[in-house]
Amino acid sequence: MRRAHLLGLGFMAPALLIVCLFFLAPVIMTAVFSFTNMSSGTGISGGAYEVTEKTVRRLPEHGFPEAKAEMLAQDVYRIDPAGLTALGAGYGKALADEVGKSLSGKTFNGRRDLERALKKMKARPRSIREIKVAADLFKRSVLNTRYETEDAFVAAITDLDLKLDTSERALLSKVAYTGWTWTTENYELIATLPSTLRAAANTLTYVGFTLAFNVGFGLFLALATFYLPGAQAATFRAIWILPRILPPVIYIMMWKWLTWDTGFISSFLSNFDVTPRNWMLHSDINAWVSIVLINGFVGASLGMILFSSALRAIPSSMLYASEVDGASRLQQIWYIILPQLRWPILFTTAYQTLSLLTSFDYIYLSTDGGPGSSTEVWALYTFHTALNNYGGALQYGLGAALALVLVVIGIAASLVYLRLFNFDKLVAKPRIEQ
Amino acid sequence: MTSNFKTWPVTLLLAVLSLPIVIMFAYLIVDTVTDTTAGSLIPDRFTLEHWRFLFEPPQTGRADIWAVTLNTFLFAGSTSLIVVSVSVTSGYALSRLNMPFRKFFLGGVLTLHAFPTVTLIIAIFLMLQMTGLYNTLIGVILVKTALELPFGIWIMKGFYDTVPWEIEMAGIADGADRFTVWRKLVLPQVHPGLAALGLFSFLSAWSEFILPQVLAPDGASQVLSTYMQNLIKDDRAPDFNLFKSVGLFYALPVMTIYLIFNQKLMNIYGGGTKG
Amino acid sequence: MRIALENFTKTFGDTAVIENMNLEIASGEMLALLGPSGCGKSTTLFAVCGIHRMDGGRLLFGDKDVTSVPSQNRNVGVVFQNYALYPHMNIYENIAFPLKIRKDNKKTIDEKVQEIAELVHIPELLDRKPIQLSGGQQQRVALARALVREPDVLLLDEPLANLDAKLRLEMRSEIRRIQQKTGITAILVTHDQVEAMSMCDRIAIMDKGQIVQLSTPKDMYENPASEFVAGFMGNPPISFLDGTVDENDLRLANSSQSLPLSSNISLPNDGETLRLGIRPEHFQPNYPAKLSGKISFIETQGREVLYDVTLENGDVLRSIQSSGMPHAIGELVTWGIDPDKTLAFAANGSRL
Repeated sequence: MRRAHLLGLGFMAPALLIVCLFFLAPVIMTAVFSFTNMSSGTGISGGAYEVTEKTVRRLPEHGFPEAKAEMLAQDVYRIDPAGLTALGAGYGKALADEVGKSLSGKTFNGRRDLERALKKMKARPRSIREIKVAADLFKRSVLNTRYETEDAFVAAITDLDLKLDTSERALLSKVAYTGWTWTTENYELIATLPSTLRAAANTLTYVGFTLAFNVGFGLFLALATFYLPGAQAATFRAIWILPRILPPVIYIMMWKWLTWDTGFISSFLSNFDVTPRNWMLHSDINAWVSIVLINGFVGASLGMILFSSALRAIPSSMLYASEVDGASRLQQIWYIILPQLRWPILFTTAYQTLSLLTSFDYIYLSTDGGPGSSTEVWALYTFHTALNNYGGALQYGLGAALALVLVVIGIAASLVYLRLFNFDKLVAKPRIEQ
Repeated sequence: MTSNFKTWPVTLLLAVLSLPIVIMFAYLIVDTVTDTTAGSLIPDRFTLEHWRFLFEPPQTGRADIWAVTLNTFLFAGSTSLIVVSVSVTSGYALSRLNMPFRKFFLGGVLTLHAFPTVTLIIAIFLMLQMTGLYNTLIGVILVKTALELPFGIWIMKGFYDTVPWEIEMAGIADGADRFTVWRKLVLPQVHPGLAALGLFSFLSAWSEFILPQVLAPDGASQVLSTYMQNLIKDDRAPDFNLFKSVGLFYALPVMTIYLIFNQKLMNIYGGGTKG
Repeated sequence: MRIALENFTKTFGDTAVIENMNLEIASGEMLALLGPSGCGKSTTLFAVCGIHRMDGGRLLFGDKDVTSVPSQNRNVGVVFQNYALYPHMNIYENIAFPLKIRKDNKKTIDEKVQEIAELVHIPELLDRKPIQLSGGQQQRVALARALVREPDVLLLDEPLANLDAKLRLEMRSEIRRIQQKTGITAILVTHDQVEAMSMCDRIAIMDKGQIVQLSTPKDMYENPASEFVAGFMGNPPISFLDGTVDENDLRLANSSQSLPLSSNISLPNDGETLRLGIRPEHFQPNYPAKLSGKISFIETQGREVLYDVTLENGDVLRSIQSSGMPHAIGELVTWGIDPDKTLAFAANGSRL
């Protein structure tokens, strides 16, 4: 390996590390998570084993004998050496010996029976409350007890002496497991849920309209400011750069103020006897217009910057020549300028398609998908499913599966852009051959 | 350009279309120092009370604005610093150095540059939780840095590409090794690019909302964007005068930087097209 | 120091740009690599300075094989077409840079920079920045920086291409003066034959990756080895007449005229095609072998006038004569050629 190679790889190393950790790993993990039923309920680390009332109810559905399931739910108290030791430590050796002698090996169904037996002891605790506590030392039920490992759980079940065969025990372990498991049902859900279809349709609407606005209006702004006299052009450019540079939170706050039911539009229109309303969320149409305008202003702002710099690159002699040839403004735009802007326009369109497809921050901040879920696009739906919803039950696995759809589209589109970028020219060999 | 056409219809049309932005922006500033009766559009008195949040939290339980501002500075500053220092070497390697997998790296950076990073947020959220970086400023800084990096590397490569090869060839013929050539001869030529990328990353992190919101929602690590969003969201009866004052406070550094470094930043927009 | 390239081969990807090239430059000699763009002359220069690696063959500085020595350790000085001055350093720092890299002490650096600045006549510019200098001055700085390390060889890559006409003339002689004063071996890459002829001891003319002729400027002008060299050397350029051999004459194609051929060349058989090269200074009113044609173009060059004479078959001969002759476009003239001063080429372009 030559020294320049080492220098090159050394220079790349920090970037490679970061990219591996935060791009490669997340892409792979998104795919991995999408095949789990991970949620805020299951937690993200390994789970535990626990029999709850719900487990007991569900067990027979899986083919577990109902009688044994009910026994699981019962409180069982057994006088065993472990309980006796604990009793000795808490209430003195005398009581422990006495209980051991008379009750050893006996099983009680329910605490009351045991309490009654304990009350007959000579060395019994004085208060009823203490007797209850002492009785609990012999409680051998699994109900609502968490076991961190399967072995501990199985040991506890065996302790109950339910006479389970191997398959029943395995079934019980599976149902009692509280952690996440591998599954493909996320993809079945995506294919069948009506809300995913709705989100897909919303995404198409959103991308289509916003993109048209971005490119069309951006082009108009660039052309208009190109032809206007210097001071006017500078003013309009300064105004239209604002949506792009203002932090999204502020930008959306300004829109909210504009459209609020006591906001600017409502106040202004009340002079013409229009009932005040929330112009952002009153109806689906309102919401869509708001979304397209909010995103469109930002996109047009970016489009203006890109198209303006492309316009400045056109040699002015070419424009003068077309004027001498007698072209009107519109003819000049149509025959001279637009053909030269073909690449920037294509490029902006391609780039913004991908960016719009996956971005949701402006929608999240403004309508949050509402009213109802009429403006909930795929990316926002993903976000809501996995990271942010009012119910609080966050479905990481389903969210990852939804995100993976976008990841795959993103990778495919990026590869298409590689071709647009004229990649072969970019990888021209360095001119110093060291 | 000669004016063989009437400009006023275009000016008028632009003016009408620009009205929403002008109104929103004008009221953003005016409303921070005035009071307006509900339903009216004209402010009726001057007041500084909307800026009280600078000295005391606007509502009980809110964090001190200066602590949040400090967080935001740490977040944006560190992000910008790391992005610049990692891009400055990788950009050079990709632009100028022969190395194994060079073509693959270039393709990778270009693909990532276009890649919609926000789609990875679920996996990143879970990974941060597993590593214990969830709800820490460091976690958000690392993630934001990583997501800005392909863009930064690409931009830096672009700046390096404009340095004439002959400068480097001359340095080599003069006896300097590649590292010295980079350090002493090439790096000084891309200082403007470094500054521009630094500013750009700073502004990008300063404005970032989704990442802090998802990855560090806790009070101790909140930044101005999440602080402001919580303020707006929790409020039953919106106090837009307060929101606007906080917003203006938050936006002021951004606008100042743009006013001063306008030209530099436009360079980056010309080169990189991340929307 | 003597420089030698032995069987030098260079490929880019799958295409061989230069194959098995041999070239030897004597110590203290200035040699021009002359040729049209894409002929491989810059590639050769970059291989000598080490910026390009050689895919085959050896490179010798003196008797030392430097083929695999990295550029940094080769001790070569290079002047680039755009001078490649370091824009962020002033002129002093630019010139001192190679010495600083070599870790010379401050005093030595200072002395050497002053000395070389005197040599290239720029001692008053040392604290300026490159951008404040004219093209000619930048050129001098680039020379000084290349020479300050006392390199084994000085490489000049189209050094005059970015200068205007007057400065080019001045720098031509300046570079030659400095090269002769330092006695350094130098290689000049250029596409301008006037530069090559006026500055160098020998010229290697290249075409398609091959050296087609290596000779002194005078010999190359008078005795070109091929039609390509004859066409490349000389301004205004040589003109060619095609025809077939008819005993000792050349019968011009599509024409009733014929020309006697020189007796000094071994003529091909009758009926074979032959191309005759005639330089403008050898087509004059008083030369013996007459040809008639119409003056189709007149270019006044001051001291001399250049005439294009179109023969009846459409071929054009150029003639350069002292000004003062009252000729006009359209005039029918009968001027002559000295058969012994013509250059005859076979159909494949080689000299007869």
